[in-house]
Amino acid sequence: MKRLFDKRVVLFTGKGGVGRSTITAALAKAAAKEGKRVLVTEVGDDPNDYSPLARHFGRDRLPLGVEELAPGIRGVMLLARSGQEAFMRSVLRSATLARAAIGNDAIRRLLSAGPSFREMGVFFQLLTYLREPGKGGAPEYELILIDMPATGHTLSLTGLPQVLLNLLPRGPIADALREGQTYLNDPAKAAAYVVVLPETLPVTECFELLHGLERTRMNVGGIFLNRVPQDPFTEEERAALEGLLKRTPALGNNGFQRAVVAKRERARLLAGTPLPVFQIPDLGDQGLLEAMGRALDGIRPIERQGGAA
Amino acid sequence: MTPLPPRLGQLIKHRRVIVCCGAGGVGKTTTAAALALAGARAGRRVLVLTIDPSKRLAETLGVSRNPPTPVSLPPDRLAAAGITPPGSLDAWMLDPKLIADESVRRLTKTKEDADRVLNNRIYQQISAMVAGMHEYTAMEALHRFVTQGRYDLVVLDTPPSRHALDFLEAPRRLSALIEGKALTAFLPKSDSMVARAASKLVEKILGAIFGQDFAQEFIGFLVTFTGIFQSLTLDVRTMREFLSGDDVAFLLVASPAPAMLAEAYFFHDKTRELGLPFRGFVLNRSQARASALPFPDAAWLGPDAPAAALAALPKLQALAEVERQHAARDQDLVRQLQQKAGSAGAVHPLPELPQGADDMGTLLAIAESLANE
Repeated sequence: MKRLFDKRVVLFTGKGGVGRSTITAALAKAAAKEGKRVLVTEVGDDPNDYSPLARHFGRDRLPLGVEELAPGIRGVMLLARSGQEAFMRSVLRSATLARAAIGNDAIRRLLSAGPSFREMGVFFQLLTYLREPGKGGAPEYELILIDMPATGHTLSLTGLPQVLLNLLPRGPIADALREGQTYLNDPAKAAAYVVVLPETLPVTECFELLHGLERTRMNVGGIFLNRVPQDPFTEEERAALEGLLKRTPALGNNGFQRAVVAKRERARLLAGTPLPVFQIPDLGDQGLLEAMGRALDGIRPIERQGGAA
Repeated sequence: MTPLPPRLGQLIKHRRVIVCCGAGGVGKTTTAAALALAGARAGRRVLVLTIDPSKRLAETLGVSRNPPTPVSLPPDRLAAAGITPPGSLDAWMLDPKLIADESVRRLTKTKEDADRVLNNRIYQQISAMVAGMHEYTAMEALHRFVTQGRYDLVVLDTPPSRHALDFLEAPRRLSALIEGKALTAFLPKSDSMVARAASKLVEKILGAIFGQDFAQEFIGFLVTFTGIFQSLTLDVRTMREFLSGDDVAFLLVASPAPAMLAEAYFFHDKTRELGLPFRGFVLNRSQARASALPFPDAAWLGPDAPAAALAALPKLQALAEVERQHAARDQDLVRQLQQKAGSAGAVHPLPELPQGADDMGTLLAIAESLANE
């Protein structure tokens, strides 16, 4: 897991409700404890979006400008509009022209709905934080962790350079995209991690997402298999209970079935990808962030049998 | 006395449109498919519209993932699902790129106009990325199918998004872009001095951002694209009115995660604010009804239980105890949600289905339980 802390930017992706925000927040705390200057972010659609990530730091939403959330951890919402404005300010060298552009109704409408402009705004804002110099030559934000909302958003962000560079091989946008690529396409500097639950549909969708990330040439660092239930039963016990529960449903059946499915889906995940898979047990709802921190501390990937790399 | 909130079984039988909203990963598509099945089993002609469903769900419904038009469930599957005439079930799994092309063809007056857009290299690269296109097209298809009268009930599974109502905002952004007035600034020749000055400014800005060559091409594309889509603004407005009608029911599909209450409350308030007919919550992965089951003890095992079952009993009891706690938690959640919903809608808990719910047997079981709500 330490390898994750050596990157400049790490994306956490996966469907809603899989525990992405909790993992992002717990890793941010762990990295800050190691002395990293961390920036946690989230792609927002609206400045008023409430945020599960921010809630881990006692707030309803992430700030629109960078603020300290906890010792060593700063936070900001990645908002298309902020990035677009920053981009216009950097491209239109005159401040008057930039103000006119930002205030222009047609430009504003174009930017809020025009093709790819929202992703571009987010992309550029991220780039601004990646560039930001700190003291003594080190970057101001050594490690940027991004909680990515829907999987579609992730792929349109990581795929943006490919799509737009085809259209726009030259010019300020192309320059920004290429600069962004030097981070995102470099496995030493960037990684995406997919968070998934040990259930049928999520595992299938995880495979689809991995293909998508590969297509956009995004380096994938690994997979967090979250909320893996305890499986206390031996094969024999499982067989005996299965028949009984089918005949007379009882409390506990749900947990029993979950364990059966989790075992099967864990095996399917491991067989379907060579990527490192980090298993996290079901931690319940109480004191989740602290429990997650402990679970991730020194976590190692599941060892595959048969020596598959 | 406050009137009782409408039950799901009633909505399935009488509404013409059910919109399933919810954040990603809560089982929205499955719920939509089950509602559609329930409607068809009640003798209605039903269409379920969904964007990018799982492969297996598409297979279960007997359709390929990206057909150009809705596909009917084959007769043998209809029979197996207990659907008899006049009941029928069609499914349309929408591919965003296909939809965009189809919209262009339909909204343009001539084939030449359509080809001009479809062959434009900017359009080809980014048509799937035009913000709001998926959402707009889903709503547009919904409206078309309902007004055509081909179906008694259309169930819409809204596109995956972070927030339940994003799909309503996206078309608004799209229509704001292409509203004729806003774009006068892009048009090369305008009649007023003010517009000309504005146009100069926009050209200058776009030139600096994109580089001169591409800026010209881009403006050209926008003018073509938006000129062709003139009729869309009206559609979005009509759509909003249509969605506010008595024929429509909005359901929020959610799961009992800690952040869920906030999302559900937000959704509820927002539908009220927008004047949309909120008609209830579907709470997936809920154990609210598990406590009706017996606790596994010696009596439950029976006298001739195998030794392995006896050995496993304490372990199963530990799981049962957790479930009892979850049941209490989820019942509390249902109560809070019901209080919020008042008489506008009911709360419908559905059990957790870890094995997935995209096979016909499971879908039918969900359909049955929803219809009996």
